[in-house]
Amino acid sequence: MIKQGDVKRLGLPDLGVGVGLRIPHYPAIFEQSPKVDWFEIISENFMVAGGRPMANLDRVLERYRVVQHGVSLSIGSSAPLDREYLTKLKTLHKKVRSPWVSDHLCWTGVPGANLHDLLPLPYTEDVVRHVARRAREVQDFLEVPLALENVSSYLTYTASAMTEWEFLTAIVNEADCGILLDVNNIYVSSYNHGFDPRAYVDNVPHERVVQVHLAGHTNRGKYILDTHSDHVIDPVWDLYRRTCELVGNVSTLVEWDDEIPAFDVLLAEAEKARVIRNEVERARAA
Amino acid sequence: MPAPLEDVQSFLAGAFQRPLPVESEPALAAACGEHVTGNERLTPAEQVDIYRRQFWLRHYDSIKDDHPALLHVLGEDAFEAFCQAYLIAHPPRTTSLRDLTADVVSFAETYPGFPPERRGLAIDMVRYEHAFVEVFDGPDTPPLDVARLQAVPESAWETARIVLHPLLVRMRLGWPVHSIRFAVRDGTGPELPSAPAPVAVAVYRKDLVIHYEELSDAAFELLEALALGTPLVPAMNRIAEHADPSEAAALEADVGTWFQRWASWGWIVDVVE
Repeated sequence: MIKQGDVKRLGLPDLGVGVGLRIPHYPAIFEQSPKVDWFEIISENFMVAGGRPMANLDRVLERYRVVQHGVSLSIGSSAPLDREYLTKLKTLHKKVRSPWVSDHLCWTGVPGANLHDLLPLPYTEDVVRHVARRAREVQDFLEVPLALENVSSYLTYTASAMTEWEFLTAIVNEADCGILLDVNNIYVSSYNHGFDPRAYVDNVPHERVVQVHLAGHTNRGKYILDTHSDHVIDPVWDLYRRTCELVGNVSTLVEWDDEIPAFDVLLAEAEKARVIRNEVERARAA
Repeated sequence: MPAPLEDVQSFLAGAFQRPLPVESEPALAAACGEHVTGNERLTPAEQVDIYRRQFWLRHYDSIKDDHPALLHVLGEDAFEAFCQAYLIAHPPRTTSLRDLTADVVSFAETYPGFPPERRGLAIDMVRYEHAFVEVFDGPDTPPLDVARLQAVPESAWETARIVLHPLLVRMRLGWPVHSIRFAVRDGTGPELPSAPAPVAVAVYRKDLVIHYEELSDAAFELLEALALGTPLVPAMNRIAEHADPSEAAALEADVGTWFQRWASWGWIVDVVE
């Protein structure tokens, strides 16, 4: 049986370089119709009944490709999957027609409490099986490929028995789903936990990488906080270049969620990603 | 043998929601070390505390986004205390941050921490700003065609039920919080009133923009009666019973103008004859 993982990017398209869709940028987007390959939306912002959010989304969908990215799937929680949330997610997908839907390899709460954070998991065989089972269930329900994103983290567990990239690899292989490889998160976690970020990039199943995230962060000395509030730093660009060399051209998304700059600043950041992609592709063709 | 995932997550969820730093609770700090490794730069408790601080920051910011004028009324310290008390009483439970302040009005009404001289103003501001949250992304309902409204025969107003827009929020306020909030959003940092100034307002959404309108007492009472399903003529008669003759005459003269305005603002979505 041919699994999705036998095919580069799981057969999903390379959408080019996109940016996150954020409220401060709507005027620029609607007034100037800038050239943007695609936008990524946070699904939860549009799982509402009406009003300005949905009207804005409708306008963006008229002109641009949009991909859904969520923050509430809580694929690693010990609580049952939230059926109401999944139904709303699927309803949104019918409108957006995202080629894949992504969320984070994390937990966000326990029964009765939603912490609205992307919390890391212990890297154990039991958790691999738990998460993979749930990921298969989600993917089957949504009827669209699922991509799991590696989170940045500030703690590791005494119970962990493997590296994070071994954990991610085991889950996506067992679930037969994709990877949203966040190279900024790899860098942040490598700083916080003392591993080689290149080892992470080198050792994930490259054919399962369907999307890459890039973002800035805030270095607080003893740890880096994943704030998405700044330019991408050079070591992260280096990881991205390495990813392009190993994965090939892949849909790339620049995130900037706090202290959001003018739209042309964000687009300039996306252009840096495009330059790297093109350089890698030329080198490969040479 | 590692602890079950459920136990680890339950422990950490509790730790992340503690209002005080993890290190301030020695037993909790020690317990962190059973699940969390720490490293040469941060102890397990310090690593857990990063998430704890982020929990409070994130939810404080979310409440601040929805209640900028309440922040102006209370000031930073009192607003932060209010937020903390609210989150302890009503911790976030759903996937949507929009639901975070679902209970904020009932909480504010019994919250003992408001400065006494600001209590009424603060409660009114919470009510008013919460209306904006409700109206912002509620479902769209098409307004009634004005021509249809005009086509209703006069005799039908004795029994016809007027259906108001479900996102039309009406409230009586003791303080002019609508003006204060407008000025806060405008960036002018208004002075706070020292005395109450009762007013009735309606908050609504039209063409994706949230508006407010001041209402006369009679207009407010009429809208309240219509919202309860009272047909127009009986509703007007009830209001006129409590009014003096000049007020009753004014009501009859004003209602046509009101209906034109209300229809143009999308407040009326149906007339059921």
